[in-house]
Amino acid sequence: MLGQVLLNGVLLGGLYACIAVGFSLVWGVLNIINLLHGSLVVLGGYLAWLLFLAFGWHPIVALPFVAVAVGAFGAVLQAGVLNRVVGAPVLITLVITFGLDLMLGNALLVIFGADYQTIRPRWTLGTVRVLGLAVPLDRALAAGVALAATGALYLLLRRSWLGRAIVAVRMDRDAAALMGVRVGRVFIATFALGSALAGAAGALLGMVFPISPLQSEAYLGVAVTVCVLGGLGSVAGAAIGGMALGLIESVAGLVFGPEYASMVSFSLLILLLAVRPDGLFGRRGYA
Amino acid sequence: MTRPGLTRRSALGAAAATLAVPAIGRAQGAALRIGAPLPLTGGLAPEGAKQQRGYALWADAVKAAGGLRVGDGRVPVEIVYADYESNTPKAVQLAERLITQDKCTLLFAPQGSGATKAASSVSERYKIPMVAATASSKEVYDQHYKFLFGTFTPNDTLTEPLADIVKAQAPVVKTVAILARNDLFPLAIAQEMDKSAKARGLEVAAFERYAIGTMDHASALTRIAGAQPQWLFATGYLNDLILIRRQMADLGLQPPVVTMIAGPAYKEFVGALGPLAENLTSAAWWHPAVRYENGAGPFPSTEAFNAAFRAKYNAEPDYGEASSALCGTVFQLAIEAVGSTDPLKVRDGLAALDVMTFFGPIKFGPTGQVDTYTPPVFQIQGGKPLVLYPALIKQGDFKLIG
Repeated sequence: MLGQVLLNGVLLGGLYACIAVGFSLVWGVLNIINLLHGSLVVLGGYLAWLLFLAFGWHPIVALPFVAVAVGAFGAVLQAGVLNRVVGAPVLITLVITFGLDLMLGNALLVIFGADYQTIRPRWTLGTVRVLGLAVPLDRALAAGVALAATGALYLLLRRSWLGRAIVAVRMDRDAAALMGVRVGRVFIATFALGSALAGAAGALLGMVFPISPLQSEAYLGVAVTVCVLGGLGSVAGAAIGGMALGLIESVAGLVFGPEYASMVSFSLLILLLAVRPDGLFGRRGYA
Repeated sequence: MTRPGLTRRSALGAAAATLAVPAIGRAQGAALRIGAPLPLTGGLAPEGAKQQRGYALWADAVKAAGGLRVGDGRVPVEIVYADYESNTPKAVQLAERLITQDKCTLLFAPQGSGATKAASSVSERYKIPMVAATASSKEVYDQHYKFLFGTFTPNDTLTEPLADIVKAQAPVVKTVAILARNDLFPLAIAQEMDKSAKARGLEVAAFERYAIGTMDHASALTRIAGAQPQWLFATGYLNDLILIRRQMADLGLQPPVVTMIAGPAYKEFVGALGPLAENLTSAAWWHPAVRYENGAGPFPSTEAFNAAFRAKYNAEPDYGEASSALCGTVFQLAIEAVGSTDPLKVRDGLAALDVMTFFGPIKFGPTGQVDTYTPPVFQIQGGKPLVLYPALIKQGDFKLIG
């Protein structure tokens, strides 16, 4: 039974990591606690659902289009609104993203209604039994793609010019500007990247969870918890934080009962903060 | 007739409109204002929207008839909606605001047993009759409040016939596992199921509770799978139950009997799950397949109600929507019986009510809760809910899953 629970935790953790990595990037580089993140995930879910309704596309097929669309939406927000306040105290950006979240959340509520929508692709992979464990292949695929997207971000930040520019801006904004980095554009690219990852997470979650504007708070909660757990400033932190949260919740659910899963994970979080305030993998710079 | 919320702008707009057309207002007399605190946003928004649809359908019917008949005259109805964002303390605040600031003289209760119980202290204090569309737990009515009435029968009226059917028609079932949302109504009905199962000699091998807002049920289901139940009884709301059913399939957990309350009664549930919804059983306080005739109020029969609902919303009504329309109907019948909109007289009218409606026979018991109709048990077969019980309106026979 423990093996099954650990497997469940890993599959859940992969999705958690994907929800959190874009949020972590934006927080780490722009110092913006993006309260809009959960709604961007939901927006990604709805776009995947619309593409499924219109063309019958599987969420995996729709994912690149969804990511680009939500990323473009994020770029517009950053260029039009957030770039104007990026140097402001964190409370200002917090309030602005909170306001934007209310606007987007309510817009989704008006457009799509409060009912839950689900994507039921024509083909599903079903469940296979490996060593006595039930492996839900659709969930495994979603978790795998989520981790692949997280890995792609890691490579982008380490190997590309844009990635190095983002890391440079994160480490020292003024020095990066002096070296010829256009900081405003890097901010736009970073927020777009964070939003694209949120959109991708939304498409993947659409394979597993019902889609509703009401889910945004839960996704934001996951993103914040994973970032605090894993630490800001590294892709690995978000990935491992996501895995840790998924595993802790699953094992706590097995040992103490499902009603105590959140309580146990948050108790451990508080304990961790007391011992390691920067999280498991918190560091300066982003890679 | 309806207003989406209580903002300063909408209040000013309404005031301006009243000043602009005084002749119409005077011709019809002052409108009867009924307050409706609803969870129009937040986690319970789908349920809140259903209640709103039921109230609005009844209000439309009253409007079409020229208003409520009070003595020799007609009085128009205005429902004042207020969104409590699925936040129970806010529902209590808004109930008070609807009475004191918006001058509502009657109230529709908020969604579910928990919020209804919380808000009932306000209506009792101000002596304003409040009718609950979706509160079934006995704990809500055990307070013996004089101004609280509810249209749902007690929870055990759902679990007892379910347990009877499974015991009689599924001899393979020896053990039951219960998975309940840790919330007033879902937990209360799970506890009733626990009693109903044990009373019939079935072993309750697992009783798991999950927290509100749980995003993953794999651990709970893995624990349940270890108990190898032949009957899984899960309670919660739409989102919870869709997720639970999907994760059951993911984990290969397939007991021959699966019962879920309260999801399968909603058309969205079947749409979201497709084949996975097949042969799930459930029970609800009402179903569009029930057939009551010679009903009092604006809907003379179940079929007439279904037709009116279809005409307005192009959909089949479910029990939440029907019960909400019933709440308006019982207010109307009480007002017409006593010939007054005075809250104290309406309260007495409600207490004395003994009528047939499209929903079933309605008479409020000493605690204010109805106990005069039989809730139907049904099963999803061929993508549609078929009534299994009561025998009078039976549409199909019970089947095992798989």
